[in-house]
Amino acid sequence: MSAATQPVGRRVSPRAAGDFLKNNPIYVAIALLVIVTSVVEPKFLTLNNFDNIVRQFGVLIFAALGMTFVIMAGFLDLSIGGIISLVAVVTVTLIDPIGQGPAILVGLAVGLACGLLNSILIVASGALTQAESLFITFGMSLVYGAVALMYVQGVTQFLTYSESDISIFEALNSGQIGFLSVATVVFLVCLAILAVIEKRTYMGRSVVLTGGNKVAARLAGIPISRTIVMIYAISGLLSAIGAIVLISRVTLADPTMGTPYMTQAILAVVVGGTALIGGRGSVLWTVAGAFLLILLNNCLNLLGVSSYVQFMIWGVVLIAVIWLDAVKETRVSG
Amino acid sequence: MNTRQLNLNSRIRSSSRTVLGLQKAFLAILLVVLAMAVFNLIPETRNNFFSEANFINILKSASIFLILAMGETVVLIAGGVDLSIGGMMAFSGVVVILLMNAGVPIPVAIALTLLMGVAVGAVNAFISVYQRAEPFIITLGMGIVLTGAAQQLTNARSVSSTLPDFQLIANTQILGWVPILVVVMLAVLAVTYWMLRSTSFGRNVYAVGGDYEVAKYSGINVRRTKAATYLICGLTAALGGVMLASQLNSASSIAGENTALYVVCAVVVGGTSVAGGVGGAIKSTIGLLLLGLLTNAFNQLRIDSLVSYLSTALLGIIIVSILWLDSYGRKRRREAV
Repeated sequence: MSAATQPVGRRVSPRAAGDFLKNNPIYVAIALLVIVTSVVEPKFLTLNNFDNIVRQFGVLIFAALGMTFVIMAGFLDLSIGGIISLVAVVTVTLIDPIGQGPAILVGLAVGLACGLLNSILIVASGALTQAESLFITFGMSLVYGAVALMYVQGVTQFLTYSESDISIFEALNSGQIGFLSVATVVFLVCLAILAVIEKRTYMGRSVVLTGGNKVAARLAGIPISRTIVMIYAISGLLSAIGAIVLISRVTLADPTMGTPYMTQAILAVVVGGTALIGGRGSVLWTVAGAFLLILLNNCLNLLGVSSYVQFMIWGVVLIAVIWLDAVKETRVSG
Repeated sequence: MNTRQLNLNSRIRSSSRTVLGLQKAFLAILLVVLAMAVFNLIPETRNNFFSEANFINILKSASIFLILAMGETVVLIAGGVDLSIGGMMAFSGVVVILLMNAGVPIPVAIALTLLMGVAVGAVNAFISVYQRAEPFIITLGMGIVLTGAAQQLTNARSVSSTLPDFQLIANTQILGWVPILVVVMLAVLAVTYWMLRSTSFGRNVYAVGGDYEVAKYSGINVRRTKAATYLICGLTAALGGVMLASQLNSASSIAGENTALYVVCAVVVGGTSVAGGVGGAIKSTIGLLLLGLLTNAFNQLRIDSLVSYLSTALLGIIIVSILWLDSYGRKRRREAV
């Protein structure tokens, strides 16, 4: 609780700054990685590289942003892998028949619909625990993935084979607005909206309170069902945005392409410091978490570490972060 | 404290009413068998579902998962969860084959691999029980580490055993038709059943999962009991990996993909509660057989090329509906109180 309830940004005394760093080791880790990487590779600290990072990890950041609210409310969404796959194949196959703009809108609508379906199942069953939401969304991820496979009969769809205009996708991949890429702008807009929802609206407070103690939240009159619908809808919608950014970058849609993002999104959220049990977290922390993972990846690539070992290191980071958090909690609570 | 004690008692009592607990998954199995019987009456959809070969086939394909599911059941009953079993299965298969290819005798290689499984379980137990970290994420991370290690050891390729004897362990048939793999599975099932039902350790596992604090004040060494369940789960996952490697005579780092969630889902579909305190070896077997039967029935029907995707979708729908009914039942009970 300590980090979340601290008023941040009023007056920062050196002592408070020290406490802040002790409570948020992720910023120390990011600073260390930035220093190490920029010494090894001077090109690292350029705006160009920042754009690269956002493009490269676009789908991860979007999926993780959506997952943040779900985890903050004390639930989990394992279906985002299936949603990303489904949205990707639906969008790409619809470009030729109905044009790129409507195809993207339909893709977003599919993501939103999947999220809403998850939330309806969870609300209707009265599931209140993380485990219940975990299994229901895992089952739904099998369904979404299978629907994606059936829809394209297991065949990869190539964006570049389409006969229609695909300028929006090209713009998403390489276009610039001012000095930022289009993908970065989309990311910043999503982040800003989510941050405002989280910090400034009743729904944002409801998410945190629901995650803190569901029984107390219900007794205090927090609309838990509406909160659940909102968090899963946001998760589905952001996964869909991530899927569209992903297909613009890899220029194809594969019916199984979303699978790895489920674990990575959870990883980014919890590495950022959002508590898995709910009630504590922020989309801004998730950006830091995703950023740390990206930096780690860049750094390990520069050092020439094999991709398998990198995969192992992700697992170790995940364990270390949660372990440290548990040790800290134990010390605080005695 | 009094209500907690009552709560614990009622949970233990409900866990012994297996017939009621089995109903949903068991009825679903009966439905699948009935549907297949109907399909067999129609000439166009006649198939080999009810043949002895297919029966063995179902048992064989369920065996590996069932060995894994037994350890997972014990962990879930104690109120934990272990998602590292998929990575563990892939990693132990790779390790046992690499050890043998390096010249270690077969029994020693298998013993070392099982020991390694227990050791990984001990790490999971230390971090999630003694350090009180969230087991869901710790074991998920451990699964990633083990999968990565298996990839690094094999360069993400499949490795085969050079010893012809190794594959005999799982595939030799005794009494003319039962593969040893099935015998091992039945032995693991029997030991788990006996351990949960007839030993003080088994009772302690239910008590710890039912209510941790009450179990603690009743004098149970809660930490050690809970930690032991992770060791058991590591052991069964390693055994599953060894048996899979022996069955295929090869091992690969992608073997464990999705295995953990599939097994946990099967166990939960069978009626073991993820909240802890409720469950059993037979329940998990029923849940796993249901998912295995479904896959097999779909393969037998071979309606068209889409059938494998359709069976995945149906699997998801079955998992969702059974868990949905469980959650809904809990909601009704909550509101009744």
